[in-house]
Amino acid sequence: MSKQQPVKDDLLKQVKEHERIIFKICNSYCSNKDDRADLAQEIMYQLLKSYERYNADYKFSTWIYRIALNVAISFYRKVKTGKQFVSLAEGHIEVEDKPNESAVLEKNIHVLEQFINELKELDKALMILYLDEKGYKEIGEILGITETNVATKINRIKEKLKQHFLKLT
Amino acid sequence: MDETAINNLLQQYNTKLEEARVLNLQSWVLNYKCFETLQTQKIQSKLTALAGIKIVGIVLGFLWVFFLGMLLYASRFNNIYFSISTIIVILFTLLAIAVYIRHVIMLKQIDYSKSITDTQNRLAALQLSTIKITRILVLQTPFYTTWFWSAQWLKSDPIFWLVPFPVTILFTLLAIWLYKNISIKNIQNKKLKWLFSGPEFSYIVKAKLFLDEIETFKKD
Repeated sequence: MSKQQPVKDDLLKQVKEHERIIFKICNSYCSNKDDRADLAQEIMYQLLKSYERYNADYKFSTWIYRIALNVAISFYRKVKTGKQFVSLAEGHIEVEDKPNESAVLEKNIHVLEQFINELKELDKALMILYLDEKGYKEIGEILGITETNVATKINRIKEKLKQHFLKLT
Repeated sequence: MDETAINNLLQQYNTKLEEARVLNLQSWVLNYKCFETLQTQKIQSKLTALAGIKIVGIVLGFLWVFFLGMLLYASRFNNIYFSISTIIVILFTLLAIAVYIRHVIMLKQIDYSKSITDTQNRLAALQLSTIKITRILVLQTPFYTTWFWSAQWLKSDPIFWLVPFPVTILFTLLAIWLYKNISIKNIQNKKLKWLFSGPEFSYIVKAKLFLDEIETFKKD
């Protein structure tokens, strides 16, 4: 067993507990399967590289969010060519069929995902954290902005979203 | 749509994103085999591509310096114009090599576990810093037009003053103009848009725009 094996085992255990963070970020920033798999690999590579520097003062989820979002934004900026819209409806992200879901809800979700996909990289990161119900303090720590700034931005994005829906009706 | 409806919709979207994970990346890289791969092989990381390009630049730079050094040695410093031109080009190349080495070290030191704005700011600033060495390097171009000058040519051939000399003057003026205008503050200058429209500047322009975006994001 190599010297790094315990580190690797420990990290793997922790990542498995938080893997939904990585899945969500990969799905949010990449429009096709190959890019998503590449991004997942990049994130794993950086997690492994950075784990020895992990500061236990921070929650593991905060640490993983920081690395995954930083890698995703950098990766997105490198591979971004033309259309990057990730659509649940178009089947880029395969989801199980839910026949009883209303058509209106489906349509609204489609509009919402289009809206989120059109956000700038940093705003999109903010929304991913907000969707995960992170507190403003933690969102601020991950993004490197103040709590007040987080609150202002979230309100502004939600207001824009409301206006976006208003225009459509 | 009111606040409650928006919040409900966001919840629904989040659930969908989470459901999507089950089918999309179910065969993904989260297993021991992948970890072994990551540790035993250097993966082709898109994020370290810039460092790779710079390392190639460093190697080519050293080869160029070696080649010029050999020429200089072979010339035994007989022609002062050739010697001075070559030495100046060597110095510029060594400067570029030093800057590239610094960039590679900085790229390797980027800590992705810092806050998003901090890390992205460092990355974009690093990309942007390429412009500084580019503008310095253009200053060497006139010396590529003087290495074949000779004292005898200057004294006895009027053609020298009609062709090579004006060419050098032209290159000097062009180099000074480029040095003055290739700068971060000019990236968004509409009059100079053509100057930054080439592929060699595209990522620098994007880095500048992203840096501005980060600043706005932090201030708001």
